[in-house]
Amino acid sequence: MDLSLTIGGPQGGGIDTSSNMINRAFAEAGYNVFAVREYHSNIKGRHSYNHIRVKEERPRSLRYPVDILVALDADTLYEHMDDVVAGSKVIYDKSFESGDLSQARLIMRDTAKRIKERLQGENLPLNVNGVIQHMKNNGVITIAVPFDAVVNSAISGGTPTRYFNTLGSAITLSIAGLPVNFTSEAIKQVFASKPKVVEDNVKVVEAAYKYCEENKLSGVPLKSFPKKQRLLLTGNDAAAIGKVMGGLRFQTYYPITPASDESTVLEEHETLSLIENEKSSLEKAGVVVIQTEDEISAITMAMGAALTGTRSATATSGPGFSLMAEGISFAGMDEVPIVITLYQRGGPSTGLPTRNGQSDLLFALNTGHGEFPRIVLSSGDIEECAYDAMKALNYAQRYQLPVIHLIDKNLATTSDLIPEIDKSRVKLIPAVSVSDKEEFLRYNLNTETGISKVGYFGKNIFWMTGDEHDELGHVTEDPEVRDRQMQKRFQKLETAAHEIPLEDRVQVFGEKEADITFVTWGSQKGPILDVIDDLKKEGIKANMLYLKMFEPFPSEFVKSFLSRSKLVVDVESNILAQASRVIRLETGIEIENAILKYSGRHMTEDEILSAAKKIINKKEKFIVEVLTNGA
Amino acid sequence: MAHNFKNDVVIDWCPGCGDFGILTSITQALTEMNLGGEDVVAVSGIGCSGKTPHYLNIAGVHTLHGRAIPFATGVKLANPNLKVILPSGDGDLLSIGAGHFVAEGRRNTGLTIILFDNAVYGLTKGQAAPTMQLGEKTKSLARENIFGKVNPIALALSSGYSFVARGFSFDMKQLKGLIKMALNHKGSAVIDVLQPCPTYNDVNTMDWYRERVYRLEDEPSWDPVVTKDNADSAAMKFQQAYQKALEWGEKIPTGLFYQNKTIPSFTERLSQFVPNYLTNPPASQVVFNKDHYTVVDPEKTFSDKIIA
Ligand SMILES: Cc1ncc(C[n+]2csc(CCOP(=O)(O)OP(=O)(O)O)c2C)c(N)n1
Ligand code: SF4
Ligand SMILES: [Mg+2]
Repeated sequence: MDLSLTIGGPQGGGIDTSSNMINRAFAEAGYNVFAVREYHSNIKGRHSYNHIRVKEERPRSLRYPVDILVALDADTLYEHMDDVVAGSKVIYDKSFESGDLSQARLIMRDTAKRIKERLQGENLPLNVNGVIQHMKNNGVITIAVPFDAVVNSAISGGTPTRYFNTLGSAITLSIAGLPVNFTSEAIKQVFASKPKVVEDNVKVVEAAYKYCEENKLSGVPLKSFPKKQRLLLTGNDAAAIGKVMGGLRFQTYYPITPASDESTVLEEHETLSLIENEKSSLEKAGVVVIQTEDEISAITMAMGAALTGTRSATATSGPGFSLMAEGISFAGMDEVPIVITLYQRGGPSTGLPTRNGQSDLLFALNTGHGEFPRIVLSSGDIEECAYDAMKALNYAQRYQLPVIHLIDKNLATTSDLIPEIDKSRVKLIPAVSVSDKEEFLRYNLNTETGISKVGYFGKNIFWMTGDEHDELGHVTEDPEVRDRQMQKRFQKLETAAHEIPLEDRVQVFGEKEADITFVTWGSQKGPILDVIDDLKKEGIKANMLYLKMFEPFPSEFVKSFLSRSKLVVDVESNILAQASRVIRLETGIEIENAILKYSGRHMTEDEILSAAKKIINKKEKFIVEVLTNGA
Repeated sequence: MAHNFKNDVVIDWCPGCGDFGILTSITQALTEMNLGGEDVVAVSGIGCSGKTPHYLNIAGVHTLHGRAIPFATGVKLANPNLKVILPSGDGDLLSIGAGHFVAEGRRNTGLTIILFDNAVYGLTKGQAAPTMQLGEKTKSLARENIFGKVNPIALALSSGYSFVARGFSFDMKQLKGLIKMALNHKGSAVIDVLQPCPTYNDVNTMDWYRERVYRLEDEPSWDPVVTKDNADSAAMKFQQAYQKALEWGEKIPTGLFYQNKTIPSFTERLSQFVPNYLTNPPASQVVFNKDHYTVVDPEKTFSDKIIA
């Protein structure tokens, strides 16, 4: 099975709950889901949707067209009218049929204009009926369900609209052929703590299934599989879990999308359960999470905590990261172990606050004045978010520097089912430290690795300053000491390049000898893996150079790999092809083709595939394909 | 043997600078409190004042311009057993760092903020600091100051600081006492220290202050302390402090303006939610076992994310 679903409705109208029900119901039946959230920077009313892919094996990407589209409002029909094709099913409330495009006032003006032109071009009325006709003309199966009546058949009294999201999910699941018991079980999980709510919603589920049965809408029953214990996580969740497993005990943040959910998850789980036998006498420990007055405070407060020996981090997105620049420079100069989880969204400025972007790579590599070593790593799927979070804390401790962990919005808010978080996959690396009360030189120059021993506030006396400093940490402008401290700091980067395993920096997937090589990072990893399989079926050999660490950059490997590749295509969610620029700087190799997307929406399997084929077929150089899927 | 809080580092302040008196008051206070060298941490911003941590034989960090407060808050929250002092400038704390100054009043973390109030930006050659009077013309200014003045005492009170005082760098006896009281206070303290800068501020000189300052504690009826037992006097004492804060010119009050011991500190507030926070704070936690694997059980901790 390979099912693509979209459920859309007004922001604040329970779309996430609907998606959660669908995800959990399929998970109960042993399937895998991959669910992406798209929403406006708005609290109530504007169009939001979840795009979900369901497979027996783990889905790694989204795909268009959509097989089942559920509209909890008329806007969804307008916005997604071309996401469905012949054979797709569209479910909506019958009452929407009276709606006119002019009433859909929360659709962005330019979007409405495009919809209007589209309908006018086909001589269709500018209303829901026009859209339905448009879909029918394309062979789409449109299903108008009397939402009110179905809810009322299950529940008397109350507000029927409150159950529309449950109804929409249940109809979808019934049409998909998922047996009702899994859907009811999902309802129980979603409303776990509220028995009465569970009861009512299960009634609605049953009514929805009955309605589908009576109207011959129910799908062919799907197989179910023995389910294993799994975790349903977003990238925000995974990073939070990875952080506490990696020893994080102090996190700061200033609210910003799509980063603050990570801190909220940490706050919700501030009580940590310790593993039996590992604890001394304690069963619980605590992680301190502080909402600061701004991001300048977030970065500096986390640094203050780090100086006591606490593993500390902050999480932010572009605008907040800009404010952190001076602090990050201090961490570089003063060798403060600190992790900054940078959730990328569409920039510049406030940009697309709730949409995807990968436009902060060059900034992450250059944030802060002056020259100082840093580690910049990036995650490409939800599991990686967890393990990389652990590793990022390790790098900070080992190399005593700022570590910037890049996660794009596509991962932050996407839900995925993870088999487990393996505690033994990452060992915690401690800092090289002195003993309590020992007198020492914090910036000891007598080191081959560049790593000087650290002490901690509360245990040792030592000094630090953002000015250039001597071994004791006092201000100096002595030219010789300046040179040696600069060299010592940068030596750590060489040590890191030497010590960090290559597979944590760059990976290759797909065929050894390939006709086409994709170069990418971040959330395009999943869709490209799917595209590699698709191309294989068509007899085209493809592989992927997947970048995980940009500083220290795996230059030698990338250089030798790319110089052996035939046709190279860089795939990124930005306009400057930033990773290509890094590669050119680090290896001298110029990648001539690119597939780029900067609309803020997910790159989907189908659009990368067709762009790749265009590039393969054109056989000319310097091709840039700009992708546009997604409402 | 008592710890020697003086450090063997050349001090490069100008001769006659008020900063020396503040430094001496700090070392005397720490010595008299019989603290160990590892018990106290100094966190400063940037400025002449910001150099203070280097002159103290305790752990110290000379941070970024304006950022001493959030830095120090991180230190204190990760290790609430530490005493944290913040010797920093008026430009630092009340201009570039003003947002943090206000936010810290709301937190009441337990920091001892020593505000070096010289009305100028010393280290950048005497520009007007937010504490300079409107219309004042020092020798370092090309024209008179056209900004109004922020009132550090009134701002500290309004921000919620639970200990607000003023000292004078040439009255080390009083200042030392205020620093000791502040260090023993469990919430956050602001001590506004009138500090002549002979190099750039030729208006607010040592003599100018000497003629004007008087000690609040010399008034027999002055009682600025709110305790559990007289908690109902808090509003009255706050108002009386505010009134004193407005006094400036002919007579300038110094001493303790307001202390409220009933406001829970931020570490106390956190300890209600974070298990074992005060006994096993972040800085004391062991995060991995002997084989270097995490001690956190992810499945128990994040059980709500499990589908089973
Ligand atoms: C972000 C930033 N902006 C500007 C400066 C330059 N600067 C250094 S010290 C200082 C003013 C210091 O004045 P104050 O805080 O009153 O301390 P004082 O020297 O008077 O003790 C400024 C603006 C800086 N270091 N950092
Ligand atoms: S410039 Fe002023 S504040 Fe700075 S050291 Fe000299 S006298 Fe002191
Ligand atoms: Mg000053």
